[in-house]
Amino acid sequence: MSNSLRRYLITRVLMTIPMVLILVTMIFFIMRVLPGDPIRSQLGPRVSEEQADALRERLGLNRPLIVQYVDFIGDMVTFNFGTALTQGERPIKDELGERLPATIELTIPAITITAIIGIFSGAYAAKNRKKPIDYIIRLLSIVMSSIPIFFMGLVFQILFSVRIPIFPLSGRMDTLMLTTFDSPTNFYVIDAIITRNWPALWSAVTHLIMPSVTLGLALSGVFVRLTRVNMIEMLQSDFITAGRARGIAENRLVYKHALRNTFIPILTMLGLQFAILLAGAVLTETTFSLPGVGRYLVDRIQLRDYTAVQSTIAVFAMFVAGVSLLMDILYAFVDPRIRY
Amino acid sequence: MTDNKVLMQIRDLSVEYKTRLGMVSAVDHVSFEIYEGEILGLVGESGCGKSTMGKALMRMIQPPGRISGGQLIFDDEDIMTYDQKQMQAFRGRKVSMIFQDPMTSLNPVQRMDEHLVEAIQVHFPEISKEEALVKASELIERLGIQSNRMSSYPHQLSGGMRQRVMVALGLILNANLIIADEATTSLDVIVEAKLADEFRDIREEFGVTMLVITHNIALVAELSDRLAVMYAGHVVEIGDVYHVFDDPLHPYTKGLLHSVPNIKLDEENELYKMPGEPPNLTHPPSGCRFHPRCPKAMDICSRLEPDLIEVEPGRHVKCWLYEDHPEKTESTPEVAK
Amino acid sequence: MKNEIDINPTQEAQAETPEWLLDLDKVGFVRRLFLARKWYGGDWWFVAISAVFLLFFIIVGIFPQWFAPYDPSAEVGPSLLAPGVAPSSYVLVAPIESGNITVKDIGDKTNNIGFVIGSPASQSLREATDALNDSAPEGVRYQPRQMRYETLEEGLDALAAGEIDGFVASPDELSEVLDKYPTLQIANTLREDASKGFVMGTNQIGQDVFSRIIWGTRIALIVGLSSAMISLVIGVPLGLISGFVGGPLDRVLTLIMDSLYSFPGLILAIAIAAVLGAGIGNIIVSIAVLYIPTYYRIVRGQTLSVKKELYVEAARSLGTSWTKILTKYIFPNVIPSVVIIFSVNVGDAILTEAGLSFLGFGLPPDTPDWGIDLARGQDYVRRAWWLISYPGLMVSIVTLSFSMLGESLSEILNPKLTDR
Repeated sequence: MSNSLRRYLITRVLMTIPMVLILVTMIFFIMRVLPGDPIRSQLGPRVSEEQADALRERLGLNRPLIVQYVDFIGDMVTFNFGTALTQGERPIKDELGERLPATIELTIPAITITAIIGIFSGAYAAKNRKKPIDYIIRLLSIVMSSIPIFFMGLVFQILFSVRIPIFPLSGRMDTLMLTTFDSPTNFYVIDAIITRNWPALWSAVTHLIMPSVTLGLALSGVFVRLTRVNMIEMLQSDFITAGRARGIAENRLVYKHALRNTFIPILTMLGLQFAILLAGAVLTETTFSLPGVGRYLVDRIQLRDYTAVQSTIAVFAMFVAGVSLLMDILYAFVDPRIRY
Repeated sequence: MTDNKVLMQIRDLSVEYKTRLGMVSAVDHVSFEIYEGEILGLVGESGCGKSTMGKALMRMIQPPGRISGGQLIFDDEDIMTYDQKQMQAFRGRKVSMIFQDPMTSLNPVQRMDEHLVEAIQVHFPEISKEEALVKASELIERLGIQSNRMSSYPHQLSGGMRQRVMVALGLILNANLIIADEATTSLDVIVEAKLADEFRDIREEFGVTMLVITHNIALVAELSDRLAVMYAGHVVEIGDVYHVFDDPLHPYTKGLLHSVPNIKLDEENELYKMPGEPPNLTHPPSGCRFHPRCPKAMDICSRLEPDLIEVEPGRHVKCWLYEDHPEKTESTPEVAK
Repeated sequence: MKNEIDINPTQEAQAETPEWLLDLDKVGFVRRLFLARKWYGGDWWFVAISAVFLLFFIIVGIFPQWFAPYDPSAEVGPSLLAPGVAPSSYVLVAPIESGNITVKDIGDKTNNIGFVIGSPASQSLREATDALNDSAPEGVRYQPRQMRYETLEEGLDALAAGEIDGFVASPDELSEVLDKYPTLQIANTLREDASKGFVMGTNQIGQDVFSRIIWGTRIALIVGLSSAMISLVIGVPLGLISGFVGGPLDRVLTLIMDSLYSFPGLILAIAIAAVLGAGIGNIIVSIAVLYIPTYYRIVRGQTLSVKKELYVEAARSLGTSWTKILTKYIFPNVIPSVVIIFSVNVGDAILTEAGLSFLGFGLPPDTPDWGIDLARGQDYVRRAWWLISYPGLMVSIVTLSFSMLGESLSEILNPKLTDR
């Protein structure tokens, strides 16, 4: 590994830690310092002050802020997320672990759709700049990013589930099938393949189509525009002109040379997109009733289970930082200027 | 040199481009020839249209510019009639270009060898990668780069090496005409001198024709056989380099040569500055485009545009001083041999 | 030296240039804006169209009462009425000799009105009575005595026998049996305006969807514009200072802003909103926090690049004070980007707010807000499509207008994207 690469990677990894720290600290303070008494809201007005105090005591909320903070950070580092308020006080770690596969099964196809639509539409639009197709693609991309995800999801549900019953309305799998479905990893698609349960595979996949297409389409708008702008800049660069002077065909110049160079900033953008993806996942999971971490967050907030909320958001922060780091590492390997 | 075969003939070429303030005529009805085996220098101020001319010869003018008229005859064929596929076959193979900045003109994610092999395979798909690699290595070595550096990326090479790769890309397909578009402008003087020598060697060894576009008059004086001077989209003078330097005919050429700093410290010769500014090409001056700045301007110069006429074999000037016209009131001097 | 311009074959190019293009610098600003459409092509139209749309929406937002026919929180019709469909109107049946009496007339006199027990007729009667009482003078109150009957026939018998003064039923039911009662006729419809439908239907509480979305415009615009303004006012100065001053302040701020920027915005907004509680001010603050990093980043980036420009260095070497450099050199360069970000920001803020309300963390539940309507309408997706379609469309169109404005402006103003 070259020197510059090593230096880059070390810097990047070191940068992640303060970023996560900042986010987690922010969450901590939001939960405690902002006006509004979470304990009160949790318990309701009828519970006596003593009982409220008892809960505060149990959760350690009447200790000095600094002590709480240090404890909190320690907990986060060791992944000790505490227990959920309801549902028999299950450890939150387990709850999250159970729900993570659903979210991943949703987001991976979604981001693939976004990437494919985004990159190719963006490149095509850049190549045909100021021609009608360029304006059409741009208009479509703006429309895509203006429609609320949940609205798009609802419309899809009406069109393709109610009016024309092609896809199932919601959920991860046919409820009847679920009772006999054996799922060791909780990744329904993978498990169905492993256990060779083909009807279950079909059910899982068809349940995934609408949510991931909704999420993928909604996110693609921004991506198309980002790709397009980068590609336009790229197509004006000198090496493209030089390539043209050597007789290289336009298509090759655009889709091989320019695109390969654009991949580098695109990769960074993809990392940023991931954050938007998570936000979108929250809405998509709610709309399609998928039991993922996004919906878990919403449910917990509605139940005023602040421990769970805090921990979930902290996990989100770690996740986002992790993906961002991954993207940057990939970037380092793709861009020869850093690799060598 | 003038009795050599004509390699490329430019006839009545016009290039214009659209700007917010109107149509700019960057090259206006220009005609001249490039002879086989020669090095033709094309000089002029910034904005005179010489770079545009270079790009136009390969039909590389991008929107909002376009070639609005004229013919480009290469090998008895007018390349203006070529379709896209024919142009792609033409570029790099018959005429190639060497660019100004080798750092930005090379694909940062492509290795040196890939650059060259791709150029070969695009034009000769039947050549295998290994064969192409061999050809590329040979050429690289001849230009003075060790072939083991071939698998490097552009940013790993020095500036001089990058420029040599650029030259290699211009030569790899045995093009007949190489256009060097400000190829030395970004280099320091020493590297520039070396490159000039190399250009001469290349011409000797490979027998290529070169069009050297530059604003550096000294370079062109050393390197070229013939010299063409451009002003405001017109070729105003063209001829053997020695003749032009010894006896510049067009007032602009005189001014241009005069303004080159002379290293001899001479009290009498102050640095000569040509009065006025290059014209706005959205509405260029009437008649001869140089007349507002010309010390020898006559009445006819503001009304009618002169033609580029041959005043002696191999020497063309576009100026009313040397052309006759019924409306002209002054007399036309004979050009001394 | 004369300067005549003769017609000369080589001068064609000049004669073809239209006059208006030549004197662009001398033309006034408005005319230049208009003439620019030729140069900027499609983008100019995008900007123009979206500007018109936005102007319209802003007017609707400022004066919703001009556009909305009803009070958005009032129950003005039967629940879940489809768009354009007139609610089945209930009519008052009375003896022919009573003539075309109305509820008011009955109320003035003996005061007995009957209806079938449990039928929606009672609702209609109640509404009619309420409407009557609303328009009645001080001190006057109508309260017809309500007589309940098991079936329609029993009621009509009683009416024919004179036991009651009027009977409320729907025309459909009556059409079958009224022939059997020669002494009775349909006297009047219960309410004059009962035959009017609602252009976008009603929701499950009976509120007019159209009025709700009109008033929703005001809320959306208030939230969107306010939160964007706050983000701008905080983010831009921070970016300027950070970029200009540099040093450890810059590094720390950038770290914080980058962390914030890379975090899913909606989730952060949810967290803040959940803690602060419902309420329009809190929502505005929650959303504002999300976009501060965007302004910060762009402004800081531009500040840094302008700072490096030679003309700034030249100014500094001449001793220009840094406030002057900031205001004269850096700030004007920053303005176009800020305008663009602002436009896209407002659109995004409206989307976020809708998302927040949809999830239940937004505004108080009785606010006429698009997100809230979408959330409420979710359960009625199958039978009442209009509950979600119109609010959803409104969000999309308004956001679209803002985004289109920002996007096209960005295409026009971005120097790297111009052809030269």
